[in-house]
Amino acid sequence: MPCWYYDKKELRETPSILDGVTYETERRYRKEGARFIMECGTKMGLGHNTMATGVVYFHRFYMFHSFKSFPRYVTACCCLFLAGKVEETPKKCRDIIKTARGILNDNYFYSFGDDPKEEVMTLERILLQTIKFDLQVEHPYTFLLKYAKCFKGDQPKLQKMVQMAWNFVNDSLSTVVCLQWEPEIIAVALIHLASKLSKFTVLDWLGRQPQHQRWWDMFVSNVTMEILEDICHQVLDLYQSTQKEGQEPNSPPQKPPSRADSPTTTNIKSLASGDCPAATAQPSGNGGIIGINAELNNIQTIKSLAQAVPVAVVSIPPPSDGLPLPTPSAVGGAPLPPPSNLNSNAANYHMYHAPPPPPPPVVPMPPYAANAWTQQPPPPTHYTTTAPPPPMPPNMGPGSAGGGPTGYYNAGRQQQQQQQQQRYQ
Amino acid sequence: MAHMSHMLPQASTTSGVSSGSSSRTMSLMEKQKYIEDYDFPYCDESSKYEKVAKIGQGTFGEVFKAREKKSNKKFVAMKKVLMDNEKEGFPITALREIRILQLLKHENVVNLIEICRTKATVHNGYRSTFYLVFDFCEHDLAGLLSNMNVKFSLGEIKKVMQQLLNGLYYIHSNKILHRDMKAANVLITKHGILKLADFGLARAFSIPKNDCKNRYTNRVVTLWYRPPELLLGDRNYGPPVDMWGAGCIMAEMWTRSPIMQGNTEQQQLTFISQLCGSFTPDVWPGVEELELYKSIELPKNQKRRVKERLRPYVKDPTGCDLLDKLLTLDPKKRIDADTALNHDFFWTDPMPSDLSKMLSQHLQSMFEYLAQPRRSNQMRNYHQQLTTMNQKPQDNSMIDRVW
Repeated sequence: MPCWYYDKKELRETPSILDGVTYETERRYRKEGARFIMECGTKMGLGHNTMATGVVYFHRFYMFHSFKSFPRYVTACCCLFLAGKVEETPKKCRDIIKTARGILNDNYFYSFGDDPKEEVMTLERILLQTIKFDLQVEHPYTFLLKYAKCFKGDQPKLQKMVQMAWNFVNDSLSTVVCLQWEPEIIAVALIHLASKLSKFTVLDWLGRQPQHQRWWDMFVSNVTMEILEDICHQVLDLYQSTQKEGQEPNSPPQKPPSRADSPTTTNIKSLASGDCPAATAQPSGNGGIIGINAELNNIQTIKSLAQAVPVAVVSIPPPSDGLPLPTPSAVGGAPLPPPSNLNSNAANYHMYHAPPPPPPPVVPMPPYAANAWTQQPPPPTHYTTTAPPPPMPPNMGPGSAGGGPTGYYNAGRQQQQQQQQQRYQ
Repeated sequence: MAHMSHMLPQASTTSGVSSGSSSRTMSLMEKQKYIEDYDFPYCDESSKYEKVAKIGQGTFGEVFKAREKKSNKKFVAMKKVLMDNEKEGFPITALREIRILQLLKHENVVNLIEICRTKATVHNGYRSTFYLVFDFCEHDLAGLLSNMNVKFSLGEIKKVMQQLLNGLYYIHSNKILHRDMKAANVLITKHGILKLADFGLARAFSIPKNDCKNRYTNRVVTLWYRPPELLLGDRNYGPPVDMWGAGCIMAEMWTRSPIMQGNTEQQQLTFISQLCGSFTPDVWPGVEELELYKSIELPKNQKRRVKERLRPYVKDPTGCDLLDKLLTLDPKKRIDADTALNHDFFWTDPMPSDLSKMLSQHLQSMFEYLAQPRRSNQMRNYHQQLTTMNQKPQDNSMIDRVW
C-alpha cells in the first residue's frame, strides 16, 4: 500500500503550488472542499465515517493533481460518492449532485458542466487510480472513543471533554493533518487539546502501567509534544484564519478582547509546554515555557484561541464549580453565534460546527472564480445586474452555525441580494 | 470522449461567460492529454501482463490467465471489472471485493497483487478498464472433482477440508462473510495450497444486537450451496452460511458432484429436508419466525438421514460425523470453523496429507470453466436460475441420479 503521509516540505510542493496556486489558497480550497463534503453528507444523512473517508480521499487526490486542473467541488462530490459506496452507505450520484446544487451557488455549479453525473463518473476513475484503490481509511473518531473508554474520572466532565475532542476531529478534517499523521496520533492530540480546554485532566485510566507517564503512552509510542502541538495548532489556526479572512481591508478592525489576564489564556499556555505531564493541575506553573519553545506564530495562534474557544465549547456549559472554562460571555466582544445555534451545536455535536462568524465581508477579496481551474475573475458581463460577489466567507454566517440550512456557499448569492437591496433603498 | 469536455469551464448557459479565462484553463485536448499522459504512480497498466487464456467467469467479470511480461515466468489471474450498465459508477460489489481482499492476507485466501488499468485513450473513450490481478492458482476444486483421473485419498481430503476451514476461520475472525462458497470458488495451487476465492459477494458482518438486527440480502450463495436459513428468507445471518457451504463441499469430495442440485429455491428446500429432516421448531427453534417458513410448503415428517445417506460414499465415521455437524439445519447449532478444525476427523489416522505429490501427476490446469460439464449446465448460469422460478419442479429421482 502506498504511504499517505507527507512531510512539511512535500506539503509545500503540491501539484497545485507547482501550478501557481499559493500555499494559502490551496489550504483554503482544501478547507472549502472538506466543509462542503461535510455539509453535503450531513444533508444527506450520511455518517461521520463516510464523510471523513470522503474528505481523506479529497486531500489525497490533491497530492497528485492541481486544483487548477480539477475543480474542487466536483472532486468533493466524487469523493463523497465513492466514500458512500466504500462505507456501505451508498447514495445515488444524482442525489449527491442535487444536494450539491442546493448548496453551491451558480458560479460554482458551472464547474459541473452540462452533464454533472457524467462528470463525477469520469472523475471517479481518476480518483480510484490516484488513491490506488486504497479504499479503507481509518479515522480519529474510532480511536477517540477507544481511548475515552479507558479514562477514569468525573463522567459528565469526561463526556464534555470527549464531545469537544469530537468537534475538534470534525474540524481537523479541514486541515491537512490527515496527510501528516496517523489517526491514532490525531486522536491523542485533539483529546489532549480538549482536555486542556475543558479542564478535564486525565489523571488515571484503565490498564495503566507503571511505565506510563501519560495516558497516551498506553496507545502510541514515540509521540513528541511537538507533534501533538503541531496538530493542535493546525486545528486552532482554523479559527484564527477565520478572523484573518474576515478582516478585510475595509472592514472595521476586529480587536480581539485582551486575554492577557484571562484564565483561559493561562490554560492554553499550558498546552504549549513541552513537558506537561498528565497530572498538571495548575497550568499557570508552565506558562513560561511557551516563550522558550513556541514560535512566534504559535503564540499568536494560542492567543487567537481566545476567540476560537467559544466555538469549541459552545455546547458545553461552564462547570458549576466556577472553573474558568471559556464561555461565550467570557469572550466579551468577540462575535458569537446566537444562543440558538449553541443549542443546535449541542444537539448535533457530531456535525461540524462553524468557527466564530467573521464580520460581514464588505468588499470582496478575490472574486469568485466561475470554475476552479482558474482563479481569474469571471467576466464582468456576468455581474452587470448584480454587485460583485463577496469573498467566500471562510465559514457559515451567524445564522447558519451548526450546519444550518443556509450554507456559506450560498452566501455570495445572499450577499448579492443584500447589496442589491441596499442599492435600491 | 464527449463527457470529458464537461470538466472544462463551460460557458454559462444563462449569461454567456466569455472565453476570457480560457487562456489559463486546459482546453479539451489538453485535458484529454492530461489523462492520457498522467502516469498514475500507483496504478500500473494492464499491458504489463499478456493474456494467455480465459479461465472463468467471475461474479462481476471475466477471468484470464496472464503472464507477466517482465519475468516471462510469473503467471497471474486477471479478473476484469465489468463497468457496462453501471449507472452508479465503479460497482460497489467490486469495491467491496477489493476492500475485503486488501484486508485479508492469509495462506488460504487468494492473494490480490494489484489493480491494473488499460490506458485511457481515444479508442476507449478515455475510459479505462480495470483488472484485479491475483496470484495464479492452477486448479479449482470443481475442476479437479470433475476429472475422474484425479483421485483424493482420505488424508488428502482431510488436507483440503482443513485448509478450507482454516481459510473460513480466518475470514470469519476478520468479520467477513464469503457468501458464495462452492467448489468452483475453492482454488488449489499445483503445490496443493488451497485458496478461497471470489469475494464478489462477500461482505463485512456485525454481531447483531438484541434490538438491532442486520438486514442483509438473502439472494446470495449459489443455490446448490445455499443454507436453509437463507432459503427461508433470513436476513440476519452470519458465518454459519459459509459453514453450510463447507459441508456441501466436503460431501462433494466423495460424491464428486454437488449433493443437492435444486432447480428452484422450493426444490432446494425439499432436497435439504429430505437429507436433513423436516424443518421444525423442535430441531430449529425460531424457524417459525422466518419470513418464508409459512408461505413455502415443506415436506413433513422427514427423518434426518445425513449420516445414513452419506456413509456409502464417505465411509470414514469421523468424516460422517463432521458432515452431520456442518449440515445442521439450525444455524445456531451448526459447527463453527474453529470447532470443526478441532474435530476428530483431522486428528485421527490417516492424518491430513500433502496434496502436491498427487497434483504433480496432473500437468493440465483444471478449472470448472474449462471442464466438461460434470452436471447440468445450471451451475454456470446460476444467476439466471435465481430469476427463473417457473421451472418444472423435479422429483426426488434427481438425488439418486446425482449420487
